[in-house]
Amino acid sequence: MKVDRRLTSFEMFTLTSILIGIKLTDTTPSLFSQKAQNAFWYIPLLAFICILPAFLVLLYLLYKHNAKHFVHLFELLLGQGLGKSLAFIIFILSFVMIALDSRNYVEQIKIIYFQRSSILIIFALFGGVCIFGAIRGIEVVGYTTRIFWPFIRISFFILAALIFESVVWQRIFPIFGAGVPVILEEGVSKGSLFLDFFLLTMAFSAFRKPSQFIKGGLIGLIFSIAEITFFFFLYTTVFDYNSIEKISFPFHEVTQYVNLGDFFTNIETFFMVFWLLATFLRFILLLYLITWLFGAIFNIDEFELLLLPMGFFLMVIGLLPDNAVVTELIYRNKLLNIITPVIALVPFLLLLIHFFKRKKDLT
Amino acid sequence: MKTISLSGLLILFILIGCEDMVEVDRQSYVIAVGIDVTDQDGIYAFTYQIANPEAGSTLAGIGAEQTPDETITVVGTDIMTATNTANSFVTKQIILDQTRVLIVSEALARSDQFLRVMQSAARTTEIRRSIQIIVSKEDASDFINNNLPVLEQRPHKYYQYMLSRAKETGIIPDADLHRFFQITEGDADLFLGIYATTTYDPKELDGSEDEFIAGQVPKEGGNATQFMGSAVFKEGIMIDRLTGEETRICNILDKTMNINELLANYPDPLAPEYQVATDVFLTDNPKVNLSYDSETNHATIDVTVPFEVKVLAIPSLIHYSQNENFKRTLRDAIEQYITDATDELIKKSQEAYRSDPFYWSIYIRRHFKDIPAYEEGDWHKNIYPNADITVNYQLKRLHFGKMLDDTKLDEVRD
Amino acid sequence: MLKKKTQTKESLNTKLLINLDILKERFSFGLNNDFSIRLITAKFNKHELCLAYYASLVNSDKIEQTIIQPLLEQGGDSLFDVVTAESITKIKELEELDDHINNGKVVLIIDGESFGHSIDVAQFQHRDISQSENESVVRGPKESFTESLHVNISLIRKQIRNRELITEVQKVGKRSKQDVQLMYLNSIVNDQLLDEIRSKLTQLDVDNVQNIELLEQFIEERPYSIFPTILYTERPDNAATYIDKGHVVLLMDSSAACLILPITFWAFIHNAEDRYARFLYGNFTRLIRFIALFFTSMISALYVALSNFHSEMIPPDLLFAVTAARERVPFPLIIEVLIMEIAFELIREAGIRIPNPLGPTIGIVGALILGQAAVEANIISPIIVIVSALSGLTSFAISDPSFNFTVRITRFIFIISAGFFGMFSLMIAFTLWFMYGASLKSFGVPYFAPLSPTYKSNSDTYFRKAIKKEKWRPGYLLPKDLQSSRTFERGKTK
Repeated sequence: MKVDRRLTSFEMFTLTSILIGIKLTDTTPSLFSQKAQNAFWYIPLLAFICILPAFLVLLYLLYKHNAKHFVHLFELLLGQGLGKSLAFIIFILSFVMIALDSRNYVEQIKIIYFQRSSILIIFALFGGVCIFGAIRGIEVVGYTTRIFWPFIRISFFILAALIFESVVWQRIFPIFGAGVPVILEEGVSKGSLFLDFFLLTMAFSAFRKPSQFIKGGLIGLIFSIAEITFFFFLYTTVFDYNSIEKISFPFHEVTQYVNLGDFFTNIETFFMVFWLLATFLRFILLLYLITWLFGAIFNIDEFELLLLPMGFFLMVIGLLPDNAVVTELIYRNKLLNIITPVIALVPFLLLLIHFFKRKKDLT
Repeated sequence: MKTISLSGLLILFILIGCEDMVEVDRQSYVIAVGIDVTDQDGIYAFTYQIANPEAGSTLAGIGAEQTPDETITVVGTDIMTATNTANSFVTKQIILDQTRVLIVSEALARSDQFLRVMQSAARTTEIRRSIQIIVSKEDASDFINNNLPVLEQRPHKYYQYMLSRAKETGIIPDADLHRFFQITEGDADLFLGIYATTTYDPKELDGSEDEFIAGQVPKEGGNATQFMGSAVFKEGIMIDRLTGEETRICNILDKTMNINELLANYPDPLAPEYQVATDVFLTDNPKVNLSYDSETNHATIDVTVPFEVKVLAIPSLIHYSQNENFKRTLRDAIEQYITDATDELIKKSQEAYRSDPFYWSIYIRRHFKDIPAYEEGDWHKNIYPNADITVNYQLKRLHFGKMLDDTKLDEVRD
Repeated sequence: MLKKKTQTKESLNTKLLINLDILKERFSFGLNNDFSIRLITAKFNKHELCLAYYASLVNSDKIEQTIIQPLLEQGGDSLFDVVTAESITKIKELEELDDHINNGKVVLIIDGESFGHSIDVAQFQHRDISQSENESVVRGPKESFTESLHVNISLIRKQIRNRELITEVQKVGKRSKQDVQLMYLNSIVNDQLLDEIRSKLTQLDVDNVQNIELLEQFIEERPYSIFPTILYTERPDNAATYIDKGHVVLLMDSSAACLILPITFWAFIHNAEDRYARFLYGNFTRLIRFIALFFTSMISALYVALSNFHSEMIPPDLLFAVTAARERVPFPLIIEVLIMEIAFELIREAGIRIPNPLGPTIGIVGALILGQAAVEANIISPIIVIVSALSGLTSFAISDPSFNFTVRITRFIFIISAGFFGMFSLMIAFTLWFMYGASLKSFGVPYFAPLSPTYKSNSDTYFRKAIKKEKWRPGYLLPKDLQSSRTFERGKTK
């Protein structure tokens, strides 16, 4: 029986939310607070405002040209060679980004829960779940995310409710943190926080209707941004600006701090369960998307066979840096700053060519 | 064959597990950690109070005579290395996850070493941010050894109940590690640690029962341990101690302290030899009105504390509940009494400590645009010591409980 | 192959004697004890005729009263005026002849005719309709299917009085031909689905499919999957509900149950009573069942993970109790858990296989050995008894026998994976297990529909809506008519 098993807008919403929203649990907040101090909580908002026009343009073009994914769009507008090379640049950047990101998450698992185990084994298990999860295909990733999403959000909500009594909201003052210029610079240069969404447009054709992708994606982006901002706000108000700089994983620090009454005093493992679920889903999705991107660039239709080598390479590159702090503060920060102009400007370039071509067609 | 070898491998893996796998019966759970200075700089004595899980267990085969805990002391440079050292003569792996309190001797707290020790504690994931910091008058090891609770056999229960009860009455502050780091790293206010002792040094009875610090509360029988008052930390070094009553005022004026109800005694205005026992509710957080003049770097602070009082006992048997005049007198007296005590504390903090124990720096922040300007302004060196502070207590309501009137003592004795 | 078959299609001869020889040879007359042939001279045309049948399959009273007696005593123009049985069919080919005799019919061959008459006098033996045992309910019909196809069809038809309810026959089996009845609502069910099922059945190249339980394994898509993809139920009311929604029901003789397909994950968790009980009560039961599902699959694994890797999570009093209990136990914790879980499974299996009169003893012995004695001998700690008893007990809340196995096997997978890396490996196992489930489909329908992917439906997943709000048939079945209730539509309500 031919049942339409493609994804709908709600799955898109949850996929976006998992891809972007989960960043509130990693080192992103401490990365931002290094420069912006206690004003870091609205930097994602600034970054979002900067990057939103680019995304809108990209979605518009995908919709207009009825493209399968952004590589297809590049090829349509820029021609085969140029389009593919531009896509390849994006592939390299996001590949390194995902590798560093995965190292970051593995480091969190190790530092918080398995201090004595070797990072290699944890990384191997993590890579294993990503590969075997991704092999099931984008649809299954979508379904799974959709089903787990409410539970993950409820656990986050419980965490927010429990930490609320420790919030001292006056700690957001002075409102401009380290100073207006620093904040603006950080906000503009960290638009690459949303690189994952750019990658997600690879799955443009996996949805029943393009409009569902656009609707779900935009609502998902807005929701994730609201969520990230809210949690960053909690971090600022729970930890003062001098302390947040020193904490690498505020999310885990918060889960360790909260109590559920006098009886359950250490409940971080409860939150870890849902956090792990979200993390797995995120990297399963990222691995799938990056392999898809690779397949699209080199015209490999059976790209799902590449998941295994691709996951392996991600792991190898992720293992290269010496430790989490170095990875975080140096490489990731630099990479974020490099990626931002690429994903912010490319859509506008495409838009120009789009109008130029249309004019040519009209004449 | 393939399946057999596979399942053999599987069983092998299960039996080995990973490096982080520990059986529960191979762990020792530390409930309290004590830290003392030694003769050498940078070397400290760490005392661990380890709970005995078999104490109080009703399982078959376990003898009734089990001590509830074991106390050991080792020397080390920081908490983690000391834990490793302790493992050389404790058969089981020492686990700090269940640790409830960190006890620091006053001698260590008053030295500049204190912050160093605490830093190493924060670095480990095992030590929770919700651990309470207790400053003991004597050595921490003596404190742990002398602390012999009778009713609560299991040590974690003892600390949990003792601290939550003392906090309800407001005589000790909420002093977890998280708060310690926020305030110390924030570098603008004074941190209050719990003050406790097992040495008995009774003070003369002279009026309110709250004007004690730990060790001075007259009592007979019971456990020797007393939790009362607080240790004042400035920039990570203990500089003074506050009495129970002063701690209570700090708790009232600090909105981040989640203490909304406390028991207190006040001198009876009409019969000064008696006290009036009351239950004080804070109906709302204190309203701190801070105006700041950036030209002169000068602040004026107006604090309004709305509160309600429930009279629990009037030993003088004066009819405060019926007589409007008496009532007004009692009202004024209570307000006056607290205001005086508060003014005295504020004066002390401005002049002697030159910083505030109320966490009021959060109110000045909004007057600055960014952090460099805020740090330039320097709350606890420049602004607070010179600020004009008025604290205004507003007694909103006076309850008299379920008894309309007290027994007419003269009629009874007639 | 096909050509050969058409050539060997033999038919009956005009001579009775030759026909008799054919019959005797085909059915090994004499050797085959219950195959009977009776020769009579009919009164109405004075011809010789023979009756051939399996004595064990037919109702002998009926043969005597409706066939033999009239043939011997009544006169008339033709056979149809004489024989009073309710159905007579003409048969020509020998294959047909085999078929009819095997199905409990009497074949009557008259001398001089090159065809036979098949008269239905079948009486297959079966149980009476009894109470549903595996899927019992408190509120709702109690009757269950029995091993007779006719009875089962009538049980379903009783609940759907609709001329569009079709019972279509498909033959399966190459040597022993068994009837498989497809029941569906013609005006609702998706034609593509029907074709798919039909072709699956006709493509089966096996000698014999005895019953529905075997048929399930022949037609399912993934025989090695841990999840079942076809619902097996013994309740006619359940079958009727699914037929109404647009599913197809398969029935066979000698099975006291039916197969329903296609099916989703939720059908294994839901129970007929969820709908019979009122909205709140039904959903409360669902909640309890989901808790039971969580406990039975996870609690032992969680215990292993928490106590071996995340002991900080356990509240101190409980932790000390666990520790004190484990001080004298000789095995590692995970082995202890596995011992108890396997012991529970042993009792369970033994309890099913044990002869009925011994039934109660097994419970007592099991409880004694596992509970009291093992704990007192310090073989296992008492906490484990509680944990495994809880996980074993809650498994009974999952009433579907197939899914029950899924859950019980899953439990062992989870326990073992929790032993590697605590919560981390447990979550890995759970994620992969779940994603495997999500990738399944039953006849094209995604396993977790309609929760994800979404389709227009009553969204009867975790909880159900009020009956009045149930307006749709499940969209993932692509029914011809999506709407099932129009009573309470806005504006039309009176």
